[in-house]
Amino acid sequence: MKLAEETATTGPVLSVRGLKVEFSVSDRRVPVVRGIDFDVYPNEVLCIVGESGSGKSVTSLAVTGLLPETAQIEGSIRLGGMEVNGADRDVLRRMRGEDVGFVFQDPGTTLNPVLKVGRQITEGQVALSRLRRADAEARAVELLRDVDIADPEQRVRQYPHQFSGGMRQRAVIAMAIAGQPKLIIADEPTTALDVTVQAQVLTVLARRQAEMRAAVVLITHDLGVVAQVADRVAVMYGGRIVETGPVDAIFRSPRHPYTRALLRSIPRMDAGEARLDPIPGQPPMPYALPPGCAFEPRCAVGSGRPRCRTEDPTLSAVAALQQAACHYVDEALPPAKVHAMAKPKPTETTAPPLLEVEGLKVHFPIKSSVLRRTTGWVRAVDGVNISVRAGETLSLVGESGCGKTTIGRTVMGLVPASAGDIRFDGQSMVRLGRGEMRAARRRMQYIFQDPYSSLNPVLPAEDIVSEPLRIHGLYEEMGGARRVAELFDMVGLSRGMLGRYPSEFSGGQRQRIGIARALILEPRLLILDEPVAALDVSIQAQILNLLQDLQAELGLSYLFIAHNLSVVRHISDRVAVMYLGRIVEQGTRDELYDNPVHPYTQSLLSAAPDPDPAARHAGRRIVLEGEIPSPAAPPDGCVFHPRCFRASGRCSVEAPAFQPYSGLSTWTACHHAGPLDRKSATLAEVSR
Amino acid sequence: MIGFVLRRLVQLVPVVLIASIGVWAMLYAVPGGPIAGLVGENATQEQIAAVTAQYGLDRPVVVQYLDWLRRAAFGDLGISIYGREPVLDLIGQRLPATLHLAVSATVVALALGIPVGVASAIYPGSWIDRILSAWSALALGVPTFWLGILLILWFAVDLRWLPAVSGYVPIWEDPIASIRNLLLPAITLGVYVSGILARFLRASLVSELRADYVRTARAKGLPERQVVGIHIMRNALLPFITIVGLMMASFIGGAVVTEAVFTYPGLGRLLIQAIGTRDYPLIQGCIVVILVLYVAINLAVDVLYAYVDPRIDYG
Repeated sequence: MKLAEETATTGPVLSVRGLKVEFSVSDRRVPVVRGIDFDVYPNEVLCIVGESGSGKSVTSLAVTGLLPETAQIEGSIRLGGMEVNGADRDVLRRMRGEDVGFVFQDPGTTLNPVLKVGRQITEGQVALSRLRRADAEARAVELLRDVDIADPEQRVRQYPHQFSGGMRQRAVIAMAIAGQPKLIIADEPTTALDVTVQAQVLTVLARRQAEMRAAVVLITHDLGVVAQVADRVAVMYGGRIVETGPVDAIFRSPRHPYTRALLRSIPRMDAGEARLDPIPGQPPMPYALPPGCAFEPRCAVGSGRPRCRTEDPTLSAVAALQQAACHYVDEALPPAKVHAMAKPKPTETTAPPLLEVEGLKVHFPIKSSVLRRTTGWVRAVDGVNISVRAGETLSLVGESGCGKTTIGRTVMGLVPASAGDIRFDGQSMVRLGRGEMRAARRRMQYIFQDPYSSLNPVLPAEDIVSEPLRIHGLYEEMGGARRVAELFDMVGLSRGMLGRYPSEFSGGQRQRIGIARALILEPRLLILDEPVAALDVSIQAQILNLLQDLQAELGLSYLFIAHNLSVVRHISDRVAVMYLGRIVEQGTRDELYDNPVHPYTQSLLSAAPDPDPAARHAGRRIVLEGEIPSPAAPPDGCVFHPRCFRASGRCSVEAPAFQPYSGLSTWTACHHAGPLDRKSATLAEVSR
Repeated sequence: MIGFVLRRLVQLVPVVLIASIGVWAMLYAVPGGPIAGLVGENATQEQIAAVTAQYGLDRPVVVQYLDWLRRAAFGDLGISIYGREPVLDLIGQRLPATLHLAVSATVVALALGIPVGVASAIYPGSWIDRILSAWSALALGVPTFWLGILLILWFAVDLRWLPAVSGYVPIWEDPIASIRNLLLPAITLGVYVSGILARFLRASLVSELRADYVRTARAKGLPERQVVGIHIMRNALLPFITIVGLMMASFIGGAVVTEAVFTYPGLGRLLIQAIGTRDYPLIQGCIVVILVLYVAINLAVDVLYAYVDPRIDYG
């Protein structure tokens, strides 16, 4: 599209035809990739989008021969004119070092912890004799400088643990571009990173890629990232590409029912009113694919139709450059179901607060390793006031390490408060004895982020859900097995699954078990710690809707802890933004999203990728410098000032008070609070 | 680092103190004592009382212990009741022999354990992997005394290549004679633990093989030799060093059976003899020295850790 004349002359960097990958698992052959074709041209970004089990990561490993030997690969993979499938081990190795650069998901584990970063960046090139050992360090310094790492001469000799998460991922990018590759494969490169850091990393990646005119295959589940960086998009489902086309076409006029449903199911920053329209069911497992179209059981158009059930549709042109694999591409999706419940509901502003947190501080001692002396304090939470009224959702938003989870855990009594008061229904919780605390906790329950590790794998679902009843000695009194079965109905699990073990449930179902477990004691407050962060995109909407329904039905209050700003906008009545243990801005949802006044809130909102390609050029993004400082050594004055684009001399000495901002119901802690002027010179300077 | 070593050495004091009290208490809890053996069967009550008093064993137990402790604090571990020699001298004669055996047995164990562990981890399910399973079970299942006796029968009695009775020859005096003497006991001990080491290394390597950084290393075009030899090995060796350290420490006092089979003059046999005769000062001295060595080896392992793993910082 953007380089039509060039692609015509140079041809694709990577060309995949009829790629099939099967794994042999205990004498069974499990098809993970089932016949896909795609090309990537120089200086082009192809995003492969899909949920877990769609085959997107396996595809990226297959094209470079990195799959284990248990994988059977069929089809043709031509990289730079050379056939990869069936190539000799040494040929593949050379190709990987010379033509391909990789950026993997978790920068915490992709670097070797016991080797120096500089060595890891260049050793591939040294091993292939493309770089002399004597020149390796100088080259590593140069590469680190290219990815915006300050003081690269010192940094090359450091180990990965001395780097922060965002710096590690930039070091991985330095490694990926060390050989000036023709192709960069990035597999969920920013999924493990915070939004402000994600913006830094994507910026660096885009700049280096443009310089080298490399082709990029970016694999992600995040439609916001896709809209921001892709030239073309391939949507994968059940091991096949179901739709492909230019990014604008995919977002403007998606044709495959899955693409359309996916775009409809994600919460958006620009529209918080509508209820989400989730895709029913869950993505298919590669070993249990339906016979016809893999999407048929969940499809609003084709579900139950004989042709869809028997015949797998092939990818065919639906517009210029756009292809979709569906028998009924021309049929419109039925309109979103009208639901009785929709946000925003009127918030009872007169209702007394159910939960009140006042001046909360949670400080953890830092112990020296041997003599256990306290050598310092981590100020995880440093003076926080929040309140949650009956039936209301207050969200705590912030990046990792800001203290939002610690607040939730302290409210539950899992972590002792260092100072301040927590009142639940008028009763102070901080100085309760063990027995009183247990009784009081009955009315507040916690829902955890990871539904895979928060359920005991050796207990059947029934016992997991009923355990709180037994702990509180209320099993008989509250209805025992009958009550458990009712809760299964309430959270949308079938009663037939009562006796099954957690491993037999999907991620979304497991989170439903977690919700049932939290609800069985009839709590009034739920603390939800990133309840949808570990779930697939199409499942998130189901759980968010369930949470909204339960809130309306049972009059629950939610303290919702999350980093995803779209999800927060969707579910909240009020929002508090946290940075380094403090609340920097708090207001009603609409005020905070439409008129943010604190520079950190403004940066967060601008860094969050909007799932709309048109927004890419609309406004310049604020890319924050640096990363969140350690809460063990917070900066003097305003804790945000080292990264703030509005900071003045006053900010580095005087901590701003948390006070109302005139004209709005918002409270904020900033000397220079005010609306963002998109044309201001200060902003242009910090933007890249 | 120096601070860390010093702190650890200071921590050694209460450990030795508690252990010595424990040993003292146990010695007095079991019936009998050294005197019966000294005076003979026909001794009169008066004779026994006289000898008891001579060695100061008629005093209250606590007084005896404090007396021992006071002397020990100044480096005097007392006089052996039977050997009539200073305990420190007796231990000093045996200690080099024990260290020779411990080091050579560790060398044998590593020489057998590392290649087998690496090979079976890289080729899981292969013949070498299957042999490892059988062999480590065999290595652990075969009693050391039996293997020792078999080795003596083959190499000393039948082939006459090596001595049947292993004396102690310092390696710096006569390396060949020293190795000839050490070879059979070192193999006996080394084979026994090499099975454990190989298993342990295999498990450690297999878990590292699945790590993300291995995929990264392959993705940048490194040859498999470097992926395994540098990237994986460096990480897998971390837990392995701990096991090797513990194993080596166990050879100091725990090689009794092997020492007995080869009549090797090690610390373990000295301790057993001392226990047999209830030679209180010698038992106490042996235990303290073994304990100190045990802690010293583990300290050395911790120091080594900091060199292998950059994430460890003892400050």
